[in-house]
Amino acid sequence: MLQLNEVNAGQKAIITDIKGNPRFLSRVTSIGLTLGCEIEMLYNEKKLPLLFYGRETVIALNQEESKDIMVEEMA
Amino acid sequence: MNITASKQPTIALLGQPNSGKSTLFNGLTGARQRVGNWPGKTVEKKEGHYDKNGIRYHVTDLPGTYSLSANSEEEIITRDYIASGQADIVCILVDSSQLSRSLFMLADYAGIQCPAVLLLNLMDVAEEQGKKIDAHALEKKLGIPVLPFIAADQRQYTTFHTAIDQALEEKKLLDIDSLTAKYRLIENGAYNKVLELMPKEGIDNFSPSWLAAKLIEGDAAVMTKINDVLSQDELQELDKVLASVDNGALETAGCKFQWIDELLRDAIVQKGEKPILSKFDRLATHRRWGKPLAIFIILLGLIASFIPATPIMYVGSLIPLLGEPITAAMTAINAPTILTSLITQVVLNTLYFTVAMIGFVFGVNLVFGFLEEVGYMARVSYVFDGTMARLGLQGKSVMPLVVSFGCTIGGAAGTRVIDSWGQKVLTIALAWVVPCAATWAIVPVLSSMFFGAWAPLIIVAIFFVAALHMMITAKIFGSKLLREEERAGLIMELPPYHKPRWRALFRSIWVRTRDILSRALRVIFIVSLLFWLMTYSASGNPEGTVLYRFGRAIEPVTMVFGLTWQTFLAYFASMFSKEAALGVLGSLYLGAGSLFSATVESGGEVAAGLSSVLLSSLSPSAALAFIFAVTFNAPCLMAITSTYQGTRSLKWTLRILGYYIATSLFLAFVVYHVSNLFF
Repeated sequence: MLQLNEVNAGQKAIITDIKGNPRFLSRVTSIGLTLGCEIEMLYNEKKLPLLFYGRETVIALNQEESKDIMVEEMA
Repeated sequence: MNITASKQPTIALLGQPNSGKSTLFNGLTGARQRVGNWPGKTVEKKEGHYDKNGIRYHVTDLPGTYSLSANSEEEIITRDYIASGQADIVCILVDSSQLSRSLFMLADYAGIQCPAVLLLNLMDVAEEQGKKIDAHALEKKLGIPVLPFIAADQRQYTTFHTAIDQALEEKKLLDIDSLTAKYRLIENGAYNKVLELMPKEGIDNFSPSWLAAKLIEGDAAVMTKINDVLSQDELQELDKVLASVDNGALETAGCKFQWIDELLRDAIVQKGEKPILSKFDRLATHRRWGKPLAIFIILLGLIASFIPATPIMYVGSLIPLLGEPITAAMTAINAPTILTSLITQVVLNTLYFTVAMIGFVFGVNLVFGFLEEVGYMARVSYVFDGTMARLGLQGKSVMPLVVSFGCTIGGAAGTRVIDSWGQKVLTIALAWVVPCAATWAIVPVLSSMFFGAWAPLIIVAIFFVAALHMMITAKIFGSKLLREEERAGLIMELPPYHKPRWRALFRSIWVRTRDILSRALRVIFIVSLLFWLMTYSASGNPEGTVLYRFGRAIEPVTMVFGLTWQTFLAYFASMFSKEAALGVLGSLYLGAGSLFSATVESGGEVAAGLSSVLLSSLSPSAALAFIFAVTFNAPCLMAITSTYQGTRSLKWTLRILGYYIATSLFLAFVVYHVSNLFF
């Protein structure tokens, strides 16, 4: 299992767990990120928020918060 | 249609950000809308109405939220409003181009007992992407009217009106059985156990099944409600069940998206695939080029906003020319000179200032509204998020701040694209720090007059102080304006680019401009009138004016800040217009001409002979104090008006104004006394 911010650009992954308080969970799930959701990393640059594609949308998420999202890389 | 004539139905618009709620709201209500704040909240409340077949329909545009949990003020307001039963029908808008994600709002709504209509908005964008959506299939599964829709296209409103009337008559509720069936599968049947404990009639518009799902999610506000209605034993039982569920919010969200996926399985067909990030987007979000590109586009936008603004501003500049013929006519009929002066100076200048301001605000709104509409502002937000977060702001706030280098009026107007009221007000408060073009028309002149080759150093010092000022101001205002949840890190969607919808864009700007017009006329007239009264003298010279006497009387006080009575009055006038600082100095030191004209008509030029008088009567420290006082003073009357328009709060406008007067005088004080040690 990896943290979302450990996924390299171009890689696809599946969300396996999301940690954090109810506010964070609600915010993340309402934008479409749930367990089993497939994402594709578009950008993963140190100083910028992550940019990835998931559920028909390009989503930006802070590096810090992304550590609470656990994923499994897809081959 | 059989709607009781006495009843005035209320329609609430519900949807995630970018679902097109505002477009529909503007399209339905036009100018018949009122924007204020929800009572006691820092969230904008938009209400309006339209008349159709003799019936008045009230429309409430609910705050854009991603869900109906209780994690932000917006969400709580939205939920409480729907629960209160004030709306007869809720229109749920979804973005058809991102249907699965967008339908989350509908899934979260499921179980609220208020009739609903689903609008599949942005159907044109979905079709461009090769998506075909079967609205009938959805309607069958959901049990409520489902309408393919383009909110920007008013020709579609007839079908909308028909659907609303029909829904008001039939009062159909969303069919939630297939969703609750999913909830029932949540680990060890917790949902069933919670549901059994719920009051059978629900609470307000919330059904037992909705309440149960929210409790599983750990919703604190619903828990409080439930505490009031359940017995002690029941509460203990409830606690036990809830304790057995971890990550309830993840479980229910999973159920909701499974439900959505099933819903869409036969209802949506996708042909072909588009690249996720276009070439332009790769540049716009690039770690190195994203920021320079954003600044470049904002500056280009600032210049472009003068294209629509210039003709309007030109017409405005013709208004003062009416002064001469009016004076001639008034003299011919022997009208009292004071009345002539009142009309030619106050009335004409109010009109001139208002038209000039409207022109510029219109240009800024058009250009930056366009950038927002096509989707580019979201990219700016992305690349500048980290930088702006240090000030407590979202990335988009960089736009108003950059625009303020040109003109603070435009900066304040540009905050329109910021969706949180608190961040909007904070951005405006910070935009006032940014030295505008008018500052650069006077500061270099004064600096080089007094300090010759050292002048650039003063400019550097101003930038340094401005940066410090911004950080401190962000702290002071941020503590009051920003809510805890807004300080949370960035999570946002980057909506796909789409073609601008000019009609809808113009409609929204037209509504705004009309609104600004009345507000600007009032504010500018009242302030001009007061200023005119203070600067009126029968002889036309400064000596007879109230302002002159006031300035002389308090000189002992202003000298503490390093300001002579002349420079203090010039500082005072610079709140009216920055360029006035030089005009008023000229009028006072050279002892001629009306103070009012010197204030409103000064173009920032130095009157002949002024520089030698200034050099002989002001010490370098006093000059420096004056430069800082004027630079960091309130930008100008029109910027103050624009701030009032943007914040919609007289209280916050006056707070910002008071803060800037105090800090600019404080800076003058520090600069004066510190530089006195050296000069």
